[in-house]
Amino acid sequence: MYGWNGRILRVNLTTGKTSVEEVDPRTARDFIGGRGWAIRYLYDEMDPRVDPLSPENKLVFATGPLTATPVPTGNRYMVVTKSPLTGALSCSNSGGFFPTEMKRTGFDLFIFEGRAERPVYLWVKDDRVELRPADHLWGRTVFETEDMLRTETDPRARIACIGPAGEQLAPIAAILNEKHRAAARSGVGAVMGSKNLKAVVVRGTRRIPLAHPDELKALSDQVVEEVKRAVAAGKATLRTYGTAYVPPVTNEVGILPTFNFRTGVFAGAEAISGRTLSQKYLIRPKACYGCPIACGRVTRVEDPLFGGEGEGPEYETIGSLGSACGVDNLAAITKANYICNELGLDTISTGVTIACAMEMYELGLIPESDIGRPLRFGDAEAMVEMVRLAGRREGFGDLIAQGSYRLAAHYGHPEFSMSAKKQEFPAYDPRGAKGMGLLYATSNIGASHMAGDTAYMEVFGVPKKVDPLSWEDKPRLVKYFEDIFTVIDAAGLCVFLSIRYLFEPTYNVEPVRISRLMEYATGAGYDEEVLLEAGERVYNLERMFLVRAGFSRADDTLPPRMLYEPMPEGPAKGHVVELDRMLPEYYRLRGWDENGVPTPEKLAGLGLP
Amino acid sequence: MKICIKLLAHYQQYLPPDCSSSSYETEVPPDARVEDVLAQLPVPPEESVVLVNGRTPRPGQMLREGDVLCLFPAIGGG
Repeated sequence: MYGWNGRILRVNLTTGKTSVEEVDPRTARDFIGGRGWAIRYLYDEMDPRVDPLSPENKLVFATGPLTATPVPTGNRYMVVTKSPLTGALSCSNSGGFFPTEMKRTGFDLFIFEGRAERPVYLWVKDDRVELRPADHLWGRTVFETEDMLRTETDPRARIACIGPAGEQLAPIAAILNEKHRAAARSGVGAVMGSKNLKAVVVRGTRRIPLAHPDELKALSDQVVEEVKRAVAAGKATLRTYGTAYVPPVTNEVGILPTFNFRTGVFAGAEAISGRTLSQKYLIRPKACYGCPIACGRVTRVEDPLFGGEGEGPEYETIGSLGSACGVDNLAAITKANYICNELGLDTISTGVTIACAMEMYELGLIPESDIGRPLRFGDAEAMVEMVRLAGRREGFGDLIAQGSYRLAAHYGHPEFSMSAKKQEFPAYDPRGAKGMGLLYATSNIGASHMAGDTAYMEVFGVPKKVDPLSWEDKPRLVKYFEDIFTVIDAAGLCVFLSIRYLFEPTYNVEPVRISRLMEYATGAGYDEEVLLEAGERVYNLERMFLVRAGFSRADDTLPPRMLYEPMPEGPAKGHVVELDRMLPEYYRLRGWDENGVPTPEKLAGLGLP
Repeated sequence: MKICIKLLAHYQQYLPPDCSSSSYETEVPPDARVEDVLAQLPVPPEESVVLVNGRTPRPGQMLREGDVLCLFPAIGGG
C-alpha cells in the first residue's frame, strides 16, 4: 500500500494485549483514512448505544494518507470515539508533531478497547509496543506529564496525554499533544481517562511509501511556493496575527459572540485582537510539522495577576473565554488558555460554559453561595478562577467541567446553554451567518466549526464570498462543506491550507488539487468525483452511527435564542436562524428522510450497509 | 461627504501613519460608489472582502455620509 501504512494497532487495555491488523485496500480507498477509517471500525465493532465512559466504548487515534508526507500541513490526526458530552460522535482534530511521529511508527490507527485496571501509558517505538504503568503520572498536569515521559522514553518522542480534567472524566476534557495542541472537543479526554490511559507516546522512524513521490513533491512544492509568495508580498495574516486576527472581523459582521451570545457586537473587539496580541505578548509564530503558514503563537504575559508563558490564544479561545464572557482583558484570556492546556480542558466549551453561568448568575438563576463569589460578565479574574476550578472539578468548577447544557439544566434552564447536541458553539453567532446555524444543528459531532465551516465563504470570502444573512442557498453550501471537510480531515490535512490553496487558484470550488495529492500519494484511483463521494460516504456512515445511538430530527436543533430572539444590534440586527426552512431542503439534498435518516437507496448508492 | 475606511488583518499596513485605530475618515464625492473608493485604495479588490456597515454591498452601491467601508483580505478563518 502507498500513502497508508495499511496497518492498525489494536490495544486491549483490559487484558493488556496488543495486536496488529492489516487493512483491506478497498476499505482503505473507500473510507480515505483518518476519521473515515475510524468510523468504519467503530460502526462495525461497537454498539453506538454504549455508555461513552464504559469499557465498551472504543477510542481511535487516526492519521490520514497524507499525514507525514511532503504535502504541506499533512500533520493532522483525529480522535474518534463516542462522546461523553454529546452522546453522539467525537471527531476531534489536532496538528503539531505527534500525528506525524505516530504515522511514522508504521501504524495508521491505534484502536483502544476496554479499561486498564491501573493507570497506564502506551509507548510505541516503531514496531515495539509496550503498555507501561502510569501511577506516577496520575494527577499530574499535561506539562508535567509531557516532561516526565520524554525523560523516561526518548528525548525525540512525541506525546499526547490528558490532564486532571480527563482523569476526572470531565465531559469537556481534551487530549493535548506537545503541551499546547489539543484534540479538544466533545470530551475525548474523559474517554481516555475512563480507560485509565494517561498518555500515548510515539517515536517513529519509518518512511511513508508513496505511489508517485516525484509528482507529489512537485505539486506540494508548488503550493508551498504560493504560500511563500503571499508571505513575501506582505499577505501573511495568519503568520503575523495568528487566528486572533479574527475578532475585529466577526465583530464588524456582527457575529462575535458576546455576553453568552446575547449579541454579536463587542466593544472590546480590538483589545482582544491579533494586533494587540502581537504588540503585547507574542514571542514568535510557530508552525506545525511541514506547514508554511505558522499560525501558532508562542506567547508570554507579564502581568501581576495573569502572568505566564505558553502558546495561544486562538480565535476560538478568545471568542469563548473572552467576548462570550464579556472579558476584554487579553492577558486574562491568554492565562485562561494556558490553564486549559495545563489541566486538559477544551477552551471553547470551558469559555462558553462560564459565559452561560455568568448570564444565569446575573439573572439570579444561580445563587452566589453555589459559586462562592460573584460571577458577572466582564470579570476577568472570576473567569480565570472558574477555569482553574473546572480543570480539577473543585467547588463550582465541578458543574462547569460538565459543560453548559448540564450546568444550565441543573438549575432548571437548559435554554441558556449555547450548544447543539449539548456541545458549545464556536465563536460565530449563527444568526448572522445562517450556514453556521444549519451546520451547528445538523453536525454529527454537535456544534463545531471543524465540521464544515461555512464561515469561510459567509465571512472570510474563501474560496468566494456569499451573503451570510441569506438562508436559501445554505443547505447546499452546508452539505458541500461537510463533505469537503470530511475529506480534508480524513486525508490528514489542515483546513487552513486546504481551503485556500488546495482548491484551484481560480477559486473554482472543486477539490482538484486534493484529489491529485491523494492520487499521487496512494495510487488508489482517486479523482474529484471518487474523493467527494468517499467524503459523503464517511459522512453518511457517521450519521448512521448517530441514528443507531438514538438521535433523530429533534436533536438537529438550536437553542431558542437562535431561533426566536432576533439579534438586537449590529449588521445582523433583526435576524434569527431560519432553521425550519433550511432543514427539509438539507435533508432532501443529503438523500435523508424527513427524520434525518439516510434512506436505504442513499446508503446503497454509497455502498453502505 | 465624509465616510470611514476601516482596514483589518494585514491591510492595517495600509492605514495612514498617524492612525492609531483600525479606521480613518476620508472625504469622497457625494455620488461615490463603493467601486470608486476601492479603486483609490492600495488593496487588490479581487482578493478582498468588502463590507459597508458590516453588510455585503450590492454591485454599484452608492455610499452615504457616515458609511463605514471595511476591507480585509479573503483568508481562512479561526
